[in-house]
Amino acid sequence: MLKSVTANQQQYVGLQELSALARTLQPFIGPQKKYRFIQNVRSGESALTCSCFCAIQNLEPTCALGQLVCETLQEHEKIYHTGSGCLMFLAGAWSSAALLGLCQGISVTQIISIMNEGIEICLDAVRKSALLFNGLDVRLSRRSTAAVHGLELSLSEEAFCVASNLPFNFQAPPAKVYQQAQNIRGQRQIKLSRYFCENKSEMVSEFETCSFAHIAEGLSHSCDNLMKLAVEVMQVQSRSNQDITTVTFDISKVTTCVLFGLPEDCSCAVPGCIVLLSDEQVSVFHHLKTKRLKVALIDGDLSHSYHHMGFKRPAGMQHVRDQPSVSESSTEDKWVKKVVKLFLDLGVNLILLTGVACKPMDQNCCRNQILVVEKLNSSVLRTFAQSTGSALVTYPSQLRDHCVGTGVQLALWRDLSCYDRKLVPVNISTEENTGLVTAILTSSVQCKSQLQQDRFWACAYRLHHALKDRALLPGAGRTEMFCIHLLQKQAQNCREKSTNSVPPSAAGTAVALHTSVMLELMADGLMDYITTVMINSGKMSKVEARTIVTRQLQTFDVHQGNATKFPQLVLGNENEAFVFPSRKQTECAPAVEVYDNLCVKQEAWRRALDLVFLVLQTDEEVVSGLDQKMEKDTMML
Amino acid sequence: MSRVVKKTPSVCTDMPLNNAEVCAKLHLMKELLRSCYGPTGRLKHIRNNIGGRVTTSSSSSVLLPALSSSQPLLNLIKSSILNHISRFSDCGLFAAIFCLSLLEHVRQHELRENLAIKVNKHCLSLCTSYLQREDCACRVKVNFCSSQNLMTLAGSIISSKPACLLTEAEKHHISTMVVRAFLQTIPCSTPGPVTLGHTVTVTIVGLRVLDSAVFPGLLVEMYDPFDQTDSSSGPLRTVLFSTSLAGDLAELGDGTIEVDPDVDTDLQVLNQLLELGKQLVEDEVRLCVCQKVIHPVLQQYLRSHGVVVLERLGMALMEPLSMLAGTQPVATLHARILSTAYGRVKNLSTKQFGFKTMLHLQPEGEAAVCTMVLCHRNETMLDELKVVCQKAEHGLRLTLKEPSALLGGGCTETHLSAYVKHKGQQEASESAAGLGCSPAEFLLGVKVFCRSLDMVARSLEHDGGTSVIDLNHAHHWTVSAGATKEDMVGGLGLCGCGLVENSPSTKWTFLNTEYAEFCPAPLLGDSCRKPTVLDSFTAKVNALQVAVETANLVLDVRYIIEDVN
Repeated sequence: MLKSVTANQQQYVGLQELSALARTLQPFIGPQKKYRFIQNVRSGESALTCSCFCAIQNLEPTCALGQLVCETLQEHEKIYHTGSGCLMFLAGAWSSAALLGLCQGISVTQIISIMNEGIEICLDAVRKSALLFNGLDVRLSRRSTAAVHGLELSLSEEAFCVASNLPFNFQAPPAKVYQQAQNIRGQRQIKLSRYFCENKSEMVSEFETCSFAHIAEGLSHSCDNLMKLAVEVMQVQSRSNQDITTVTFDISKVTTCVLFGLPEDCSCAVPGCIVLLSDEQVSVFHHLKTKRLKVALIDGDLSHSYHHMGFKRPAGMQHVRDQPSVSESSTEDKWVKKVVKLFLDLGVNLILLTGVACKPMDQNCCRNQILVVEKLNSSVLRTFAQSTGSALVTYPSQLRDHCVGTGVQLALWRDLSCYDRKLVPVNISTEENTGLVTAILTSSVQCKSQLQQDRFWACAYRLHHALKDRALLPGAGRTEMFCIHLLQKQAQNCREKSTNSVPPSAAGTAVALHTSVMLELMADGLMDYITTVMINSGKMSKVEARTIVTRQLQTFDVHQGNATKFPQLVLGNENEAFVFPSRKQTECAPAVEVYDNLCVKQEAWRRALDLVFLVLQTDEEVVSGLDQKMEKDTMML
Repeated sequence: MSRVVKKTPSVCTDMPLNNAEVCAKLHLMKELLRSCYGPTGRLKHIRNNIGGRVTTSSSSSVLLPALSSSQPLLNLIKSSILNHISRFSDCGLFAAIFCLSLLEHVRQHELRENLAIKVNKHCLSLCTSYLQREDCACRVKVNFCSSQNLMTLAGSIISSKPACLLTEAEKHHISTMVVRAFLQTIPCSTPGPVTLGHTVTVTIVGLRVLDSAVFPGLLVEMYDPFDQTDSSSGPLRTVLFSTSLAGDLAELGDGTIEVDPDVDTDLQVLNQLLELGKQLVEDEVRLCVCQKVIHPVLQQYLRSHGVVVLERLGMALMEPLSMLAGTQPVATLHARILSTAYGRVKNLSTKQFGFKTMLHLQPEGEAAVCTMVLCHRNETMLDELKVVCQKAEHGLRLTLKEPSALLGGGCTETHLSAYVKHKGQQEASESAAGLGCSPAEFLLGVKVFCRSLDMVARSLEHDGGTSVIDLNHAHHWTVSAGATKEDMVGGLGLCGCGLVENSPSTKWTFLNTEYAEFCPAPLLGDSCRKPTVLDSFTAKVNALQVAVETANLVLDVRYIIEDVN
């Protein structure tokens, strides 16, 4: 019988669990990650990981909270493929903040409304500190006075600029501010347009080469070699794309191919789709390599028993024969023969599949010099369909002349027989450039391959998001510090309000005090995040890290002593003065600007807080279908 | 060989309500549901003990089905509340909490069961007749000339579920959307009996709440958006299949069929499908929709003839779509399709929401079908938002039947309670005589009823605050935990429903204390203040009845006989 049980979560166990879980995942935060082994005691398998998401998935949580965390990370990872560490850490840090708030007697409803206010401050700050770049439209993105001074400098050196919203000036009426901004923009446009008229083409190329390398370097987060690979992939892809103003990075056309046994510096980007062939396929390949091939694209498996999704095989079907059959060949053999005959009739030499081919089919095709390539990405197949004028089909019986594409070529990418005789990487390409790029990842240590792939994709996605957002955030803790600064400032305002309020109403004072406490706690969460990143770099202790951050925040305050033109000063300051000693800076090399993705950071923060809110508001757990094994603290209904 | 297993005798429980274990379980259930009530209620994680998805909700329609008990009385209460929810969507928690507190208070005050039943019935009839009266002070007329009351009603239902985590702006956006969707489902120019249209809800995870929108017509997700044409206009002849076109044989049931191995049944069915496809092309069908899967070969054939193909529509969209296009769903592929089965769609266009591509079908004439696209950042919150929006839309529909709403925020409860108390006191002797009991007993019964109603109002507070009522209109107010006496005099602001303003002359009493009965005064008509929280009238009145009748039924149970075999 089904029974439900309610587990009473006294003392906000959920929040404690969440912060504890986040604490165990701390080593995965920041660019200098620490590797961890995850061992399955039952099966004896182990995995090497350095990503939060991977770790959580391997831990297979069974408790409600673990499940919730896992779902949240999955959703985030599905869209952004990066930033789950940040999400997890902040969820933990902010749940500790909420817990401390509860201990001080702040009610749940209040905590939620204050933290909502806090996140709005942060997200607004993030938006304001975004560095927009927009290809040719650089000048359109300049919206503030902040960038006026370093204008030419930033254009020639970086070709993107600091943009913040209109300076908010409490004394000035809104209309005036608007006018002021208009004027500035007008002046600047004239200046800029002259600049553009004179050497437009130069500008473009400069943006293409110089600034792009700069962005990529800033986004690499210590994954230099893999980021270099990602940039290479992008450059290979954009070479086909003639329109320079819309540089994009179409990640759906990128595949990876892992080669074991080669040193890591052999990684590179190759136009086309590179696959590894098996021994039997190699002879077919040698037969086909000089020809223009006809290709068939099949979305599914190539086997007799395969059916499209949603097809139900009737259960009660029996095959009855009134005479003993003469030929022994099974229906499968017949089917294979029929399909191969169809391929031969259509003149198909190459078959690309998303699924797998059955063994007899494989053999039969090899015999007839037809190459079958399995397990390809369906987006890759679509690209081939577009470029060869063919169409994806589900069953081989659907193939007609118009479904078959032409002009595909096979070429041995590189002769690797000196490393491993079995490695035969073959490039499938078409005459026109498709934008398909393969990232060749080489590794001499097999267990690192998954890790390398993960990190490559993270780099690629960071680049992809940067180009999609057309914006970057100052990284290396600069954005976080800006947010901490604003949160602390707001907290202080509330504190002052609570002491100075003219009619002393107890409720009003309490609210203001609570607000200041909660905002401070939220700022502490962000502070923890940057200090953890610094500690993970292995160059300093917690105390040192905290001291550095606090000192930076204090100098901040000194600079913006007159609070009227506050955002500009902060931003100006940030760009010049704030380069972290912790990250990416070797003793003699000049500091590299570090950047983060705008939308990834915004989303990760928002999702982290949503998770905290859900857990904070939950007081009980309802478990259905409980068996004899009773847990403690449970009550049966 | 058969074995004879001796049957265990049935277990009989005498007077289940006197059993401490049963009472503990009833109390647990009450506390569980009470903690979910209202806009600041707590959430519950709901999961299976073997893992699986975790749902987080505070909504009765999600929570109650997950609460399964070994105690038949609990299951009885649960199923009667669920039945109420299935008919009215709203006020499920209200009914459950009221019912359970009635039971608890009856026990606490050691009231005889049969007397309690009679008094409860009496009080219920007092409430319902008062609520139907013209001068009822806790009822508000819904005026369809302005959207204000509708917006308030929708907004109150939406804010009652904190798991949606909406900001004020988002709440406003969603309530506007719900009201707009509701208005779109009312046909304007149909003569004769009016049939309400459909609102279809589509959810998209990962977008901002403010990206949610309402569209006239239907939005259907396209699973394979790559091979489709972008948009087509002009009336399109449409066919809708309710049968599977996947090429499999029809369900055989338990029987078997014997087939010669040389016969390829799949091919036979496929030929049949292609035959059907040919007819569709001949009949100039431009849009072919199927509830289930369409065979890829048939899809390819149809597409090559310029037909837009839409598969895996799902059961829920069948009725709205046949309403929109005026089609008769075709249930077989073995007969020629009659020309009357075809319908028409005005035009098609594709819309992109995040990762989903949707096909937008617009009706030719006025078919009151609209689609509400709901977006939220996270699946848990989106699930709750969907439940709440459907609830709100149903609540709005109920106003068509009875154009009234009740004051929310606990004010209706406290007001009714004060009214019943006053009325009971006034007519104590007559009523007691009618019910065959002493006036003292009758008054005790009335007290139990009123306490239970007050309990529901008190359940709205979860952060340690206290509930008070004013001794003039008997509206409900909350005093936050840290507030002092001075705050109470000067700073209570508005009552729960937002209709009464605090004035220095107002007298207060705590809700959990005894207070002298008084007649709650109706509000003066000249107040320009509008209520900010409203509840659905029909749903609440029914919930009241369900709660009292269920409680009476449970009180009436003398024995529980369980077959334990």
